[in-house]
Amino acid sequence: MITGGGVDVGSTQTKAILLNDRREIVGRALIGTGANVSKAAEGAFLTAVEHAGFPREAVGYVVGTGYGRYKVTFGDAQITEITCHAKGAQLLFPSTRTVIDMGGQDTKAIKIGPAGEVLDFCMNDKCAAGTGRFMQAAAECLGLSLDEIGPMSLRGQTPVRLTSVCTVFVESDILSYVAQRKKPEDILAGVHKAIATRTISLVRRVGIEDEITFTGGVARNVGMVDALQAVLGRRVNVSVEAHFNGALGAAFFALERAERLAAA
Amino acid sequence: MPITPIIERCRARLEDIEFGSVREWKARHPGGRAVGCFPVYTPVEIIHAAGMLPVGLFGGGNTIELANADARFQSFVCSIAKSTLEMGFQGRLKLLDGVIFSSICDVARNLSSVMARNFPELHVDYIHHAQNMTSPSAVDYVESEFGRIQRSMERLAGHPVSPGALAASLKTYNQIREILRTLYRIRRESPHLISTVELYILARAGTLVDPEDHLRELREVMDLLPARQGRPKDRVRVVIESAFCEQPPLDLLQVVEDAGCYIVDDDLLTGWRWYVEDVPEDPPPLRALAESYIRRSVYSSVRHDGPRSRNLGLVEKVRRANAQAVIFMPAKFCEPALFDYPLFRVALEQANIPHLVIEFEEKMWTFERTRNELETFVESMLFD
Amino acid sequence: MATAVTVDKDRKYQSEVNDHSKRIMTEYSDQLARAAKGGEPAGFLMISGNCVEILRAFDMHPVFPEVNALQLAIRKQSLPMILKAEQMGYSSDNCAYVKADVGMLMSGGYGPQGTIPYPSLVVCNYVGCNVYVKWFEHIAEFCKAPLYMLDIPFLREGDAPSQDDITYVVRQLEELIATCSRITGKPFDIDKLREVLALSARAEEGWSRAKELCKVKPAPFDAYFDSINMMGPINVLRGTTQAAGFFDFAVEAFEALAAQHKGPLAEERFRTVVEGPPPYPYYRNFRNLFSAWGAVAVNSTYSTVGGLWEWGFRHDPRRPLESIAEQMLVENLTNRSLTARYQQIRRYVEEWEADALVIHSIKSCRLFSAGQGDMREYFTRDLGVATLLVESDLEDPRYYSEAQMKNRIDAFFESLEHRKFLRKGTGGDA
Repeated sequence: MITGGGVDVGSTQTKAILLNDRREIVGRALIGTGANVSKAAEGAFLTAVEHAGFPREAVGYVVGTGYGRYKVTFGDAQITEITCHAKGAQLLFPSTRTVIDMGGQDTKAIKIGPAGEVLDFCMNDKCAAGTGRFMQAAAECLGLSLDEIGPMSLRGQTPVRLTSVCTVFVESDILSYVAQRKKPEDILAGVHKAIATRTISLVRRVGIEDEITFTGGVARNVGMVDALQAVLGRRVNVSVEAHFNGALGAAFFALERAERLAAA
Repeated sequence: MPITPIIERCRARLEDIEFGSVREWKARHPGGRAVGCFPVYTPVEIIHAAGMLPVGLFGGGNTIELANADARFQSFVCSIAKSTLEMGFQGRLKLLDGVIFSSICDVARNLSSVMARNFPELHVDYIHHAQNMTSPSAVDYVESEFGRIQRSMERLAGHPVSPGALAASLKTYNQIREILRTLYRIRRESPHLISTVELYILARAGTLVDPEDHLRELREVMDLLPARQGRPKDRVRVVIESAFCEQPPLDLLQVVEDAGCYIVDDDLLTGWRWYVEDVPEDPPPLRALAESYIRRSVYSSVRHDGPRSRNLGLVEKVRRANAQAVIFMPAKFCEPALFDYPLFRVALEQANIPHLVIEFEEKMWTFERTRNELETFVESMLFD
Repeated sequence: MATAVTVDKDRKYQSEVNDHSKRIMTEYSDQLARAAKGGEPAGFLMISGNCVEILRAFDMHPVFPEVNALQLAIRKQSLPMILKAEQMGYSSDNCAYVKADVGMLMSGGYGPQGTIPYPSLVVCNYVGCNVYVKWFEHIAEFCKAPLYMLDIPFLREGDAPSQDDITYVVRQLEELIATCSRITGKPFDIDKLREVLALSARAEEGWSRAKELCKVKPAPFDAYFDSINMMGPINVLRGTTQAAGFFDFAVEAFEALAAQHKGPLAEERFRTVVEGPPPYPYYRNFRNLFSAWGAVAVNSTYSTVGGLWEWGFRHDPRRPLESIAEQMLVENLTNRSLTARYQQIRRYVEEWEADALVIHSIKSCRLFSAGQGDMREYFTRDLGVATLLVESDLEDPRYYSEAQMKNRIDAFFESLEHRKFLRKGTGGDA
């Protein structure tokens, strides 16, 4: 049996996926990236192999992706997460034409063709405004965990207005709303709405075309999904695998490559 | 009748994001055209003489959320450029038939190109204002440039501008500027009689109506002002500098006053008050405007100042206003304003004039931090 | 799926042309250092659409603060200078070229103890860039030097300046000449100016011919990175025998390379047009990211900041002041509108047969960058040209993130390769 492995080394978490020749997920892992990126990459991969229950040598080809892809030293090739997210989204939702990927450092809008090929993409400009990092700052400011803020934002009735989505200024903005005794849920609804608005403006640069698939770590945040749909006025696909989407795309490319090598 | 209702009327006009007053003007002048004037300075006399309405175009303030414009201009570009473009995308500029930009900064120049490309139905003009204030040929150049704008406005209006009409416009705007200078003097001498927020509202509302109507409004205020009573308070007299293009929210000006300041001079809406004395009515009108641009205009961060620097100009302004301090208030990312700060700072320090830096954005919504800084600054002046 | 090849980070791109440029630019720097020690007359100018020929007619050393700034950045010495300026009150949002230069001035980089002479005259050739006005106001103030504000009306209607614009500039040039004469104590010699202009025209001819050669596949040199090495000779040394000789040499070398089908890389896989200045603090690193994909620039807008000679304009000794005025008014990138730049790039993409447009958006220079999102829209939506937009700065190393840069460049070329592959409809990896 031919197997392909994908390892997505992100700024905060490292994800690994193994696919068998029927394109089924047979192994997976998720670990914190930490300070030693190479170690995290290898650790995630080995955990996924263990999870799949077969020897490491059985994995025919490994593709590294994400920020730390060049640290996947045991891998066979490196592909950027833009290409991998495009492919992953197309595997999960075959009619996908637009991918919104929100990770820790970056937000990406990717326009893809029917085969999952990247036609155009845009990323947030240099500042971390409107990314996972920004939401982390907002959560910390309110003394909440990252997991809590999405559900809580859904209860907001009257979202506050943020002056900007600057990670540096969000703290003082939020604190001044706290001082005005605004409810945390309204503050969070405002935060989510502001990020969604900014994200959609990024998506407009590549063109909004159905279906839209939302991937990356932030896709687990129900508040963000809701806010994006509200600003777009359309439904977006979210898979339970959203977080593993980049690794999935990478594993797919690895599998294809492994099959071609085996046939040669 | 007190002044307050007039101010309230003016406030409603400038807060109307749909340009209601322009709509009304157009209803009263069927076929009439309106021309937006992006800061800082536009020779509005020429637009008015062509029978069109000059309209102050100061961005979207804090009434607009960017959906398209931040895809065109990066995060390090000032808010007014993006919000003005966004107003175009949202159809809020449909009421305007033309827009005039000028050579105030690199962003405004590129914005004029982007506006022209994205809104082909809008007539977009760009003025290159002279920067050489000493060459004898500069006046000829400016006259030629204003002549070009006149021809362009004639094409837009569909008829020529008579010298008589231009002379009449010069006179009207001279009268407006004279009253504004008087109001500025009254505020300087008796800041308890008219607040900066009030004065600003009066001046800015005039950028949205026919100048004849604005003149009537200002005359009403002048008639009513002597009856106003008030007692001077113990406040710090300050000059606001560098808010000449993107405009601070009214609430920010209110916060400055509430924190214990009398604003006794400022450069808000500076281009609509551009001349320090009347544009003379004897020479041919375009020549008079051109000469005035070179010889009778205010110190400004968007204009090279020739032999005498605006750093000293600022110190003189503070002395003339009998002010104690300067609040340097640049819009975020405003390159001309920010670049002037290092030399302003040296000039102010040498003249022993304290200053505070407050960077703002038109879309500012919360003022807690700013209020804190201002109060601390005022306390340091009152209780040192 | 193709991936980038690994490029040795110390890879040398030096060709004999680059070596030659380096040699004559070093001679120029040495001259400036000697002039600084000896207190010889120096005139400060900006690069964009400059009138260096006038200074040469009076034997004044031309000093370009932009060159000072970029050399600091390339040598990785810009940050302490920038920080020094920021301590003086310069904003983090102001152009870092200015900050680095001011920081250098304040650290004793000018004058007898430094390498740059003090200005005898500051000539602010205001050619599009509004920051120039501030920059030179500040230098004049700090050095207590006289300033001549040479105001060049922006090209605003159509493709040609008005006669009144030309007259205004010519009259100012006459005033500038009188000022230079007063400062140096030398009479103006029009024949000397004509000789200088003839040398300028010879260099311009070579520059133009070299850029034309990049229409060949593979292009004999990288018209972004290697052109930058030629910008010193064309913009700074223009009007000298050294510059004219350099271009004679360069054209010969490039013609030989073109005949042998040799380019700057082992293989030219992608032809790009590059818009915007480079990240000087990470110049080599940035170039390597493109080399890894076999991407070669076949033309660039940055190389036309000083002048647009590739459409045929030359300085003309028979019309000395008029041709200088025309070059400043219309024959350079910075005095033309953003949409005129779109058309320039469009010609580059079409006539130089490029596969993609790369926009390097820098925070410092809003003249270049403000509105580049709209440029991207125009090229991707209206023209269907694959376009990559990346951001950093030309001077401030704090705005360069290597991981982010690499990620975007790799993703772009991955997708470009994929599309090329799909278009060809054939198997096999590139």
